Amino acid sequence: MSAPLLEVKDLHKHFPIGSTGFRGLPKSYLHAVDGVSFNLHKGETLGLVGESGCGKSTTARAVIGLHPATSGSIKYEGKELVGGSTSDWMPYRRKMQMIFQDPYASLDPRQTVGSILAEPLKVHKMGRPNWRKTRTMELLEAVGLNPRHIHRYPHEFSGGQRQRIGIARALALEPDVIICDEPVSALDVSIQAQVINLLQELQERFDLAYLFIAHDLAVVRHICKRVAVMYLGRIVEIADRDDLFADPQHPYTRSLLSAIPHPDPVFERSRERIVLQGDVPSPLDPPSGCSFHPRCPEIDGVPKDRCKTEQPKLVAVAGESRETSCHLTCPVPAR
Amino acid sequence: MWFAVTLFCVVTISFFMMRSVRGGPFDGERTLDPAIERNIEARYHLDWPLPKQYFQYVGPFNLDEHRAEIFGGDGSKVFGGVTMLEFGPSFKYKDFTVDQIISQSLPISALLGMVAMMWALALGVSAGIASALKRGSRLDLAMRLAATGGIALPNFVIAGFLIIFFVFMIPLLPVAGWGSVKYMLLPGFALGAPYAAYIARLTRTGMLEVLSQDHIRTAHAKGLAPKTVIMRHALKGGLLPVVSYLGPAIAGVLTGSLVIEKIFKIPGLGTHFINSALNRDYTLAMGVTILFTVLIYSMNTIVDLAYTMLDPRIDLEEM
Amino acid sequence: MAKNEPGHWQLGSGNMEKILSEVAAHKGESLWQDAWRRLRRNKAAFYSLIFLILFAVTSFIAPLLPIASPMALTLQEEPQPPSWPWDGTQLETQPGSQATSSLGAVLNNGWRHRSTITFNTEGDNLDTVATELSDMIEEVTGRTTAINRVASKGDKPAQLFFGIPNEADDTPRTDWEKTGNEGKVTFFGTSAGGWLVLDLPVDEALFNSWSTVVDKRKGNFYLVPIEGNQAGLRYEFDLPHPFEGGVKGITFNGRNLPADGKLADLSVAAEASDDAVDVAPLTWDSPEEDAAGEAAPVAPKGPIASLAEAPLESPTIHLLVQLGETKNVLLDGFDLRDDTTVISQGDSRDKVLFFRANTTAKEFQGTFHQDLKRQLDSALASLSLADGATATLIEVESENGYDWDMNGISHLMINVRGKVFGLWQTGNWMGTDSKGRDIFSRIIWGSRTSLMVAFWATLTSLLIGVTYGAFSGYKGGKVDNAMMRFVDILYSLPFIFVVIFLITLTNEYKTELDEFGLDREVIFYLVIGAIYWLTMARVVRGQVLSLKNAEFIEAARVLGASTKRILFVHLVPNVLSIVIVYLTLTIPAVMLFEAFLSFLGMGIEPPKVSWGTLAVDGTEAINPLKIFWWLVFFPAMAMGSTLLALNILGDGLRDALDPKLRGKD
Repeated sequence: MSAPLLEVKDLHKHFPIGSTGFRGLPKSYLHAVDGVSFNLHKGETLGLVGESGCGKSTTARAVIGLHPATSGSIKYEGKELVGGSTSDWMPYRRKMQMIFQDPYASLDPRQTVGSILAEPLKVHKMGRPNWRKTRTMELLEAVGLNPRHIHRYPHEFSGGQRQRIGIARALALEPDVIICDEPVSALDVSIQAQVINLLQELQERFDLAYLFIAHDLAVVRHICKRVAVMYLGRIVEIADRDDLFADPQHPYTRSLLSAIPHPDPVFERSRERIVLQGDVPSPLDPPSGCSFHPRCPEIDGVPKDRCKTEQPKLVAVAGESRETSCHLTCPVPAR
Repeated sequence: MWFAVTLFCVVTISFFMMRSVRGGPFDGERTLDPAIERNIEARYHLDWPLPKQYFQYVGPFNLDEHRAEIFGGDGSKVFGGVTMLEFGPSFKYKDFTVDQIISQSLPISALLGMVAMMWALALGVSAGIASALKRGSRLDLAMRLAATGGIALPNFVIAGFLIIFFVFMIPLLPVAGWGSVKYMLLPGFALGAPYAAYIARLTRTGMLEVLSQDHIRTAHAKGLAPKTVIMRHALKGGLLPVVSYLGPAIAGVLTGSLVIEKIFKIPGLGTHFINSALNRDYTLAMGVTILFTVLIYSMNTIVDLAYTMLDPRIDLEEM
Repeated sequence: MAKNEPGHWQLGSGNMEKILSEVAAHKGESLWQDAWRRLRRNKAAFYSLIFLILFAVTSFIAPLLPIASPMALTLQEEPQPPSWPWDGTQLETQPGSQATSSLGAVLNNGWRHRSTITFNTEGDNLDTVATELSDMIEEVTGRTTAINRVASKGDKPAQLFFGIPNEADDTPRTDWEKTGNEGKVTFFGTSAGGWLVLDLPVDEALFNSWSTVVDKRKGNFYLVPIEGNQAGLRYEFDLPHPFEGGVKGITFNGRNLPADGKLADLSVAAEASDDAVDVAPLTWDSPEEDAAGEAAPVAPKGPIASLAEAPLESPTIHLLVQLGETKNVLLDGFDLRDDTTVISQGDSRDKVLFFRANTTAKEFQGTFHQDLKRQLDSALASLSLADGATATLIEVESENGYDWDMNGISHLMINVRGKVFGLWQTGNWMGTDSKGRDIFSRIIWGSRTSLMVAFWATLTSLLIGVTYGAFSGYKGGKVDNAMMRFVDILYSLPFIFVVIFLITLTNEYKTELDEFGLDREVIFYLVIGAIYWLTMARVVRGQVLSLKNAEFIEAARVLGASTKRILFVHLVPNVLSIVIVYLTLTIPAVMLFEAFLSFLGMGIEPPKVSWGTLAVDGTEAINPLKIFWWLVFFPAMAMGSTLLALNILGDGLRDALDPKLRGKD
């Protein structure tokens, strides 16, 4: 296997919470991302799923440098990006782009589509004004919009069209990696399919790698080659799509997958669903040990001490391209 | 804590600004004998260096060796300074201390302000409720017109009309002065009218919003009398914006009284402030300024508290 | 990566150039256009906008309008009761009808400076008397008149006030006795300043003594400026041509001139004349230098002998006699501005000296009235009024019309007004106040103050508020906290006190501020603006705070856009709409505040007018005997309707521009 395009190791992102005390130190930290590692290869789609608030979007924003990571490492083609200055990041802005969740909020309402799409070109001083103009029209055409509409304003487009504009903006710099932060969850289901198809089509055409963040498992199953499941700021399981959906190893993944309704009503009725008890613990005060242990259905009411005290590590499952972090299903001898 | 900071800033800045103004309070038309002038300056400590004057003013330090001459008596009483709520002697009204002047005029201004707020609340709330209940009717339209007019017209113009109507055309009320209740009606109304207009608007919007909510519909559906629904259920939510507006309103009434007191010749604080600013009566002007700061600040705090009590969703921490 | 390197991806069909020519037809509608459409649909707001535009235009072109002067035009000793023209009995202005043609005449005359001639009259028919007197005055002065009438009341006789325009060459009042030299003084100028031309007769004896200087040759006599305020007389005479034998010496007033040309002892020549004139160095001009120009002051030159030896062709000899300082020579009655006193060249033929001296407008008093009064008195004596009516000339008084500085545009507009309307002006449609001033005109001129306040104060609040709020919101965190805490503190201050205080302060330092070129009024406006930035700062900060984390800003950051670019390309245009909304809501607030301060006597000072001072006049005129309702009603209506329109427009704009209602519908 070739070297990964994007290599994220032990990424942490903490937000200070509450007003600062008298010594200038924050009272506490919110551990939004707490040691996330994954690799992304060229042309690959990595799905990142999990409940709301589990740190998916923060991971994405940390990877693209919107929220500087607290610690850890992000390597793009071997070049370390964490701690880099704005100018260090500049060349990698052309390599990594992002598609945002809310198509209504992600386009400047006071700019025409033309200037929205020309902005990345302008910022990176690509081409001359005339070329930029035709390029924006080409971009519009590439995402399936009428290039004649470059003088229109975002509020004159529908949600799906706006998301296409957002995709076109991400494409403008001809990146290798596009981070899709729930790109379809704000759209109607019928539009979702169109946008997903567009994304796949573009991936084939330009050999793009996607870091695809979603909470809709069906979408993830459709588009992703590999899937990572996040819980409370950590990846609990990462595996090839087919492996993961066929045979989830982590209890949380299992419960998550069991929430997908099955099209066969007979089977659906007889199927056993795993319903998690309780709420997601606060990331301000994560549980000790395995962060999933207070809700874990497989502990069977007899919590093992190890689950409570020791934080499981993400380890490769033998024979598969899969990594899991659970003391129960993938026991690793304690050190 | 912020209150103390605010107050400190006000005292300090206003003190040094007042003193930096050229032209002392005793620059009269005739030139005084230098000896007399020295005496007067000594009496008010104008001969001291500024920082010493400042500390003396803020107090409570005993910087004055011959205090007996100044305040009379046996000199046992130490000038407390602002921290002890003593603002010193007035420069212009030589026989009075600022405290005495304030204690004479503050009740008048406070009463006037209260009358004005009562007018504003009574008129504003009732008009607002009426126009919300009869939405779209002629009454509503008239009320809204009156409200916009009230907001647009300054209170001294309203006062002028009021005097013309109620004093000269229909001689019901006295034109100026201070005394019994009938002296308070007109100035109170003139002072409160803009706020009444604003309160009416707020009440109307608030009530309309609340009346369309589910719990009001439920209350109606339960068969409660319309009066009960409005008084017990709708009013509480509908008046919330009014409560939050009370803070600015009270501040406005307090400062607006400057003009009204001038028109109706009421011997309140506002009159004293204007005169003191014009006469360079430093101590009096500062005393009034500090007093108003305290008043407005505490009113705002009280209003915030009341708001929290009325609306449990609001946490004081977040405000 | 090299700059300007285009992308490599093959996108689209590549026929974009063709499409590019078509896209103009697909122009979208920006949010501004959309807001304008919405605003136009909102009837109340749209009409308010039109009203406000009309208001702004009217108040801007106020000098152009043929309205009565907002200043007092009659100098009546006792205040007259305010008048209401529509009941037809009290006071009536008959506007002058004859249009004056000259631009300059209008600038200096008629409308701006006028004289009032007051008569006490007795008679049955006041109108006839007025016409007769008016004819008489027009005959004597040659100028059109405007008439104010006051009917007799009680034991007071009926009074007639005639206004006549003053003209540029009306003689200012001078105190000749102190100078000893009586002459003619002409004033040219405007209300802002001007110059005096003084023509004084040259002392005959002096002139004659000088003309006998050399062989009784006749020469020319010039007045020349010397350095500073010194005036000099130059006597210039030609020597016979061809000149032979040279000049042995010159006898001046019975004395021989010394060969070196210095005439220190020649001052005796002045003894015959005024003390102030003393004769100082005689200078010689050689002909060569003479060609360079004769107006220049000449320093004492070489000895006469050298002149004699030179081969001369039509030589000219100059005698320069110092007359002393002009100020001493001239007028005690005038306090001429030191820096600008100049002396211009005169001519000897009329034996007069022309002095030109700059002066300020305040000195212009117009003494031609002293003479006018005599003329009118004699004319009145020979005039027999109809019906046995009598008229007594009480006084002739001149006054300055607008005593406030007007900028160039206003001046220009007044000129144009003079061209178009001449002396014609509207009647007192909204009545007059106790000083006989026209309420209508005062409202319009007062609106200029409001407009100025609206402009300056709002600009100030905009600058401070937007900068402060944007900075606070953009920085966020601790800085934001501290800055907003500061705003909270300021919110709880009783601002009116601060402002009153600041204004008394500026009053104290008026002269110093003048030196810095700061107008007290401008400071007044700025102070008002400086306290109205708080809400603006809060609003902008809130907007910036919410925009800062908006996804489109994040998107720009992901693209690598610089902070500057994010600020100016994305943040500012998005904040702008809310700023505009609050701007329209700030304007009525500051206008109200100005009125408030003017009411307290802290704002605009007479003779300038603002709506606040109008309201003061109105409330002060309230009395139980007679209700001068128009003094209260019209200013209140003007103020109320303008503020109302601004409020409605602000609400309408908020509806039209509010981003919350936008986008998802």
